[in-house]
Amino acid sequence: MVDKKKFVIGGLVFALMAGAFVSTPAKAASTDLVIGSVLDIDKLDPHTSTNFATVRALGLVYSSLVEVGPGNKIKAGLASSWVFNSTGTQLTLLLREGVKFHDGSTFDAIDAKASLERILDTKTSAAGRANLLTITSIATAGRKLILNLSVSNVPILAALDGVNMAMLSSDDISAAKIGGSNKPNGTGAYKFISWEATQSVKLSAFSDYWMGAPKISSITIRVIPNESSILSAVNAGTIQFGIITDPLIAKQVNTRTLKLFKTPALAYYALQLNTKVAPFNDKNVRLAIQCAIDRSELIKTSLLGEGAITGPITSPAYKSNALARPCPEADITKAKEYLAAAGKSTGVSFKALVTTTGWATSVAMAQNLKAQLARAGITMELDIVDQATYVPRWLAADFTATLANNGGRIDPDTMYTRYFTSTGNLNKVATYSSATLDANFLKGKSSGKTAVRSAAYTAISKELEDNAIWVWLATPYEYRVVSKNLKGFVALATGSLLPLRSASLN
Amino acid sequence: MSLVKSSGIISRSISVLVTLFGISIFIFIVLRVIPGDTITGSLGIETGVLTPEQIDDLKRYYGIDKPLILQYFSWITSFLSGDLGFAYSTGVSVLKLTASALPVTIELALFGTISGVFMGIAVGMFSAKKPGSVRDFSGQLFGLLALAVPGFVLSTTIVTVMANRFGYFPNGYEYMTPWEDLGMNLQQMLFPGIVLGIAVAAPVMRTTRSALLETVDKDFIRTAHGKGLKAKTVRYRHILRNSLIPIVTMTGIQFGYLLGGAVIVEKIFALPGMGRQILDAINRREYATVQSSIMIFAILFVTINLVTDLVYRRVDPRIK
Amino acid sequence: MKSSSTSEKSWVHYYFKSTSGIVGAFLVLIMMTISLCAAFGWMPHDPLIQNPMDSLHKPSSVYWFGTDQFGRDIFSRAMDGMRRSMTVSIVSVSIAGIAGVSLGIIGGFFGSWLDSLVVRLSDVIFAFPAILLALAIVNSLGNSWIDTAIAIAIVYTPIFIRVARGPVLIIKELDYVKSVRVLGFSSVRILRSHVLPNVLAPILVQIALSMSWAILTESGLSFLGLGTQPPDSSLGLMVSEAQPMAAFAWWTLAAPSLFITLVVVGLNLVGDGLRDSLDPSRRQS
Repeated sequence: MVDKKKFVIGGLVFALMAGAFVSTPAKAASTDLVIGSVLDIDKLDPHTSTNFATVRALGLVYSSLVEVGPGNKIKAGLASSWVFNSTGTQLTLLLREGVKFHDGSTFDAIDAKASLERILDTKTSAAGRANLLTITSIATAGRKLILNLSVSNVPILAALDGVNMAMLSSDDISAAKIGGSNKPNGTGAYKFISWEATQSVKLSAFSDYWMGAPKISSITIRVIPNESSILSAVNAGTIQFGIITDPLIAKQVNTRTLKLFKTPALAYYALQLNTKVAPFNDKNVRLAIQCAIDRSELIKTSLLGEGAITGPITSPAYKSNALARPCPEADITKAKEYLAAAGKSTGVSFKALVTTTGWATSVAMAQNLKAQLARAGITMELDIVDQATYVPRWLAADFTATLANNGGRIDPDTMYTRYFTSTGNLNKVATYSSATLDANFLKGKSSGKTAVRSAAYTAISKELEDNAIWVWLATPYEYRVVSKNLKGFVALATGSLLPLRSASLN
Repeated sequence: MSLVKSSGIISRSISVLVTLFGISIFIFIVLRVIPGDTITGSLGIETGVLTPEQIDDLKRYYGIDKPLILQYFSWITSFLSGDLGFAYSTGVSVLKLTASALPVTIELALFGTISGVFMGIAVGMFSAKKPGSVRDFSGQLFGLLALAVPGFVLSTTIVTVMANRFGYFPNGYEYMTPWEDLGMNLQQMLFPGIVLGIAVAAPVMRTTRSALLETVDKDFIRTAHGKGLKAKTVRYRHILRNSLIPIVTMTGIQFGYLLGGAVIVEKIFALPGMGRQILDAINRREYATVQSSIMIFAILFVTINLVTDLVYRRVDPRIK
Repeated sequence: MKSSSTSEKSWVHYYFKSTSGIVGAFLVLIMMTISLCAAFGWMPHDPLIQNPMDSLHKPSSVYWFGTDQFGRDIFSRAMDGMRRSMTVSIVSVSIAGIAGVSLGIIGGFFGSWLDSLVVRLSDVIFAFPAILLALAIVNSLGNSWIDTAIAIAIVYTPIFIRVARGPVLIIKELDYVKSVRVLGFSSVRILRSHVLPNVLAPILVQIALSMSWAILTESGLSFLGLGTQPPDSSLGLMVSEAQPMAAFAWWTLAAPSLFITLVVVGLNLVGDGLRDSLDPSRRQS
């Protein structure tokens, strides 16, 4: 009976080995790219997508009127050119000719108008609606799309970029065939083939793409829920492109065998303070925190050096000067002075809301901040919760302080009006607004001149930092681990996969 | 006797139903107590840009605007009629999601149980041959160490070593069901199965070993010896069969346990099973998916327990 | 049949005749000592203080097992982690043990609807996938170590119910127990003098086993982001934090893994020793 058992075991092992040799998949045809991602997409409606993975994937399927390219300049997308009128209250876009949808129909101004109107419709709950609120009416004239604005709003041009501004077919919109289980029909470089929830999204090259057929014939975004496993998969050659966010994993990439793209993210880490509750209703306490924190140490320990110190605005064209703050470097003495001025020389303590599953280094950062603040006599208690619990509390500003990882934008207007203007829909979370901020945001919004906008945003930055409304910490890097066979890929600050449309695999 | 038997089955079935009912209430309550709801779970901080009317609309869409009792009854009645609800993000029915995820988890649990039982029995027999010897000691040591290594450490170590040293990572490829590509499927199940199996092997090994050592003394063994049967035959035929009882019971429990405990392994080896489905759904507060999936799990588990019990009664004639 | 006034050699005597028992007890004793030292603050370094200058140093004479990314001494953190893992383990198993055994004995002894209720409750919890149950509980209760302990306790209660109820069902059918009940002895007295001593053996064994499982479960929860929260450390949390760094900083994984192994192995050996000594048929003279 022992022999029987051994035989059976031996037989199984042999079968497995044989299976291994027989079915190791033929190395994928060299024009198929497989991307590994921890997150799966969560929906197929581009206008309501906010999840990073969804935006990345749908960004290959849909196009928008303009695009933000390398160097963070605004480039032509489905609109080949545009012009503002003299008062900046009317934006006319000339739409590209010969653009086709994946279903074969032609893209025209009617589609563009319908798409924007769908975004503006409250029933859609579109993520980008707030950025288009100045549009009073939309008109079409041949190949022209005319947007009439209530006030001069130059940043609206940059706001027209991205998946949330995707151009949809008016037929699909009127038949309500967007999102849900409807197959996406866009004008992007890749056609949507299938979505197997929790497993993969499959796309294939669109030969009639307006920029020319992509060289990579198919893209599969495969869900591998563990970043260490993603790196292993790239090492083993089972995938060619890995999306990594954890600097600890990025540190293990062998750059002799693989290519690592490292781009400073637009997203930023900040310790948001609730200026409406104690102890942060006192500006001196806030300044004490700002001065007690050593951002270099934070980056070194919790990000293993993978990050850059930042000010409020991360938009490359209007980037804040990270040194323009009361304490550009940690100054414990000054921190203690501020505490004394607030009448808290014996120390101060507060609770900070921290998410454990929101991003890889959140807890590490919180720990280091806690240790740093302790040196100035400030006690930071960590209230650690999972992401789904964090969100409603964050939205309700149910925190004294919170460590946040907020998304950045190419334009400071779309980045911060929602937080720091008195009518912004996230102002409740920011807990601060002022007449001067409102005035400067309006100035930035209405002018087309870089110098004017720059002055406005510098003033905004200064007011936020001088009052230590939030403590801006650092920007992380976005990592793409890529096989050396991938040529022509450029990593964008937005994390978009769009450059794949002109890349190739050897 | 058959009357007694059939009434036993009826009463057991009723108790099973009561248990399942209790589970449905339990899971429903626990889910609703957790902070956050489907809206914040799916939109994240972008929920902040919604107007109150939009939030009401979404609540109606997700079915979370009604009082809790109504939500419970609406769910449980749909469930009983075969409608498990649907995942709002994908629009895919939970039934379909479960139909593709459940076989993966079951296959994984089977791999784990079978490999564990094999390893456990093999090492157990190896040890029991000469109690107190070096063999015995090393066998037991294996059993102990196998218990102490956390599953996720073992999993990530295997993946990293195999991929980086040998360039071998079948789980990096698309998951294949056994009927799509048997060879690939077996490869993808091999290592995760072994990892789960090790946790099973340790107690099986010790049970085997002690059961073997115990039965050696029993009367019927001496009788068999007396009859002149070879020691080897005696050992395997009689001893093992009688030691099977505790092993069978344990295997039943282990299998059920594995169904739930595979979450971590599924994550690291990228297997699209129930563990991941439920975990993701909990994180997104997709109530329908979580509730219905866990009910399916519970039904399966309870059925396995029932079957194990019946097998137990058949295998050991002393129990009635 | 044992009653509380037995006069045979105590099981403790037999326990120390079993090799597993001795080795196990020894290991557990070391781990308990370490935990107690940590509780009193007797550690080479402060486990919480961060020294970024000493970030990720290899083991040395100053830092016996090296430092982590924050410059914290790993050995001290492992000691503190041991204390916390032990605490969670002891608390969760105590709760599960007391609740489970009480329910099991009450249900088993008094039978009828009480027993059905207990069995039903046990089945409901048992049928729930363990990790997911713990997840849901931690999500709703919170993240402190007590909440983790409660979550683990709820998951383990059915096992204790089962372990306690089994023997009780057999004992209550014994002639002399039946007669004593008929004679009108109070249930409490019967439970105390006749039932409990005979149920004790499997319960003690289960306690040792459950304690080892609790430590591993806590580490699994830490991997999923639940369990003990930083900057506190538990062995499980240290292992899951070290895992992405293990490729270039192996020492971050070494100390906590070693401690987990020693305590889990030790507790299992203690369980073996208890099993050997409490079951008369297995005793070695």
